[in-house]
Amino acid sequence: MNSQNTDSKKFSTKWLWLILAAALACYLPFLLTDRSIFGVRLSNMQLLNLGLTQINLMLIAMLGSLSLNYLTGNAGLISIGHAAFYAVGAMTGAVAGTQWGWPFPLVLVLAGVVGAIAGLIAGLPSLRVRGLYFVLSTFAMHYIVSFSFLEYQFKFFDVVGVPYEPAKLGSFDINTPMRWYFLLLPLVILVYWGLKNTMSTREGRAMMAMRDHELATTSVGADVRILRLKAFAFSSAIASVAGAIYAFYMSNVNAESFGIQFAIQFIAMIIIGGMGSLNGALVGAALWLLLPSIIAGFASQVTESSGAIKFLLVDNRAQFVQVIFGSMVIVLLIFAPGGIVGIGAQIRNRMAANRKQS
Amino acid sequence: MLAQVLFSGLALGSIYGLVALGFAVIFKATEVFNFSQGMLVVCGAFLAVTAISVLQMPFAMAVAFILVGSTVIGVVIHIFLIQPLSGRPMLAVIMVTIALSMVLRAIIEMIFGPQGRNLTTPLPTGVLMLGDVRISQLHLTAALVSWACMAGFGAFFKLTSVGLLMRATADSHEAAVVSGVNVNVMNRLAWAIGSMLAAIGGVFLGQLQIASTDLENIGLLALPAVVIGGMQSIPGAIVGGLLVGVIEQLAASYISPKSSDIFIYGLLLVILMVRPWGLFGQRELGRV
Repeated sequence: MNSQNTDSKKFSTKWLWLILAAALACYLPFLLTDRSIFGVRLSNMQLLNLGLTQINLMLIAMLGSLSLNYLTGNAGLISIGHAAFYAVGAMTGAVAGTQWGWPFPLVLVLAGVVGAIAGLIAGLPSLRVRGLYFVLSTFAMHYIVSFSFLEYQFKFFDVVGVPYEPAKLGSFDINTPMRWYFLLLPLVILVYWGLKNTMSTREGRAMMAMRDHELATTSVGADVRILRLKAFAFSSAIASVAGAIYAFYMSNVNAESFGIQFAIQFIAMIIIGGMGSLNGALVGAALWLLLPSIIAGFASQVTESSGAIKFLLVDNRAQFVQVIFGSMVIVLLIFAPGGIVGIGAQIRNRMAANRKQS
Repeated sequence: MLAQVLFSGLALGSIYGLVALGFAVIFKATEVFNFSQGMLVVCGAFLAVTAISVLQMPFAMAVAFILVGSTVIGVVIHIFLIQPLSGRPMLAVIMVTIALSMVLRAIIEMIFGPQGRNLTTPLPTGVLMLGDVRISQLHLTAALVSWACMAGFGAFFKLTSVGLLMRATADSHEAAVVSGVNVNVMNRLAWAIGSMLAAIGGVFLGQLQIASTDLENIGLLALPAVVIGGMQSIPGAIVGGLLVGVIEQLAASYISPKSSDIFIYGLLLVILMVRPWGLFGQRELGRV
């Protein structure tokens, strides 16, 4: 009786939180566009110097970090080639969108299909090599794809990059950050929800079992080779769609946009957020995309001051951000392998234990 | 033309081989796949800039400064980053080296500015003519020094007692511990050597091109070199380095400058599929 009571209470609070989050998510773009809350104007610093553009880029990056988290955190396959799938998506977008003039939604579908095929091909070495050697094969693949992108770019376009038409849904132009936001937000939620559900199916559990112990997984009748290829194809399909969206959002990308740094940032995101956790992937992507702009906001406050603060925040801001992220990854890896989400869970557990005692 | 290309390929390949050798020493000793090896090359180049352009040291002192500096960097990396992570999953260790190279790059750019610096040393820079082949003395010096270093470290591993202890540690940590070898000191030594070899390569690469953080990409060519040669093999690293250098120069002069990547990494992919243990490595037997 008692437990049922707490269950239903838990249930209703969960829904309450969800509705609150949804309301916040819908209100956020208006807040960031109008720069005021219920008519009260907010200063730039009160909004942490954030704009809708950063939020949109964050949402696109979340697609990438979610898909890499699925591959690395859940299926246990490490890939340093995730930028390559973004590049595949961007290339598909250029061929289908810019050259053939296909409508935007169809381009995205095609990018997903091409990405899945590319992922299948890129996953083939996993049938033969394990561990470190597989990581290296994704590394090699990255260079091969980025060379293809370069060749493609110079064959059909110029040194500036590949241009993209403005995205359209039917006759509805997606031309403002606000419209992009309301396209991207449902997409991220869809991917999040889809991955969450995938992980609790038979295959999803088999995948996590494969990560933890390959031989044991084989012995209970799961074909790890097929599982690996499936994980790779699924993850790269998402990354490829994200790449196409990224290209349309930027409206011009070139081969340098998808360098090895681009791939590394996704690994850093899932490590910072927490490996193997969907929320971790979101937290990591948010931190990675929003922190630079927050620091830029602080920098604009301290232009008068001099010395070390000015040196770090104004003159060398990009480098300073890199130092922060790099050290964050190192410190988290050494002291808290569960990432920020892991630390959060630890604190929650400790608090719950304290409450039980008192 | 071909002889010219082959010469510069072999000369650059010797430098890659040197960097790759450092990489292989680290990998053999600590099983760390060191993605920061490229950044250690950059560190070497900037240690040289510091010693020669900033501090205006005489050349012999600058050489000592570079060697000591890079040794310290290697040891510090091992103590603070690699040792705490021993026994942890591969991704953690790989990622820590990647994060390290992010931090190092940012720090170097903060100190020296994002643009490259010219690096001039008293090493000969003239050109010798050998028939039709223009032999740049700097390339030649780089190749000779690289070979001398490789021979020196080869002899060190084969002939000295410390070299023997290092090989024993690389072979089996447990057996070395049981025999009373201080494994941590051996691993630190391996990192010191790896970092030092990368730094020597960096001094030459910095002078052949320009000392900038973009040298990292060249230093990272040590990765395919090591894998092609065979990750557990010291001669493999050297041959892999030479091979990468020659392929790079051939592709760059006969096809297009950008196309060298695809040949090197294409070869890497083929090797991974056909002979994952590399040209010279020993086949690893899987544990079932």
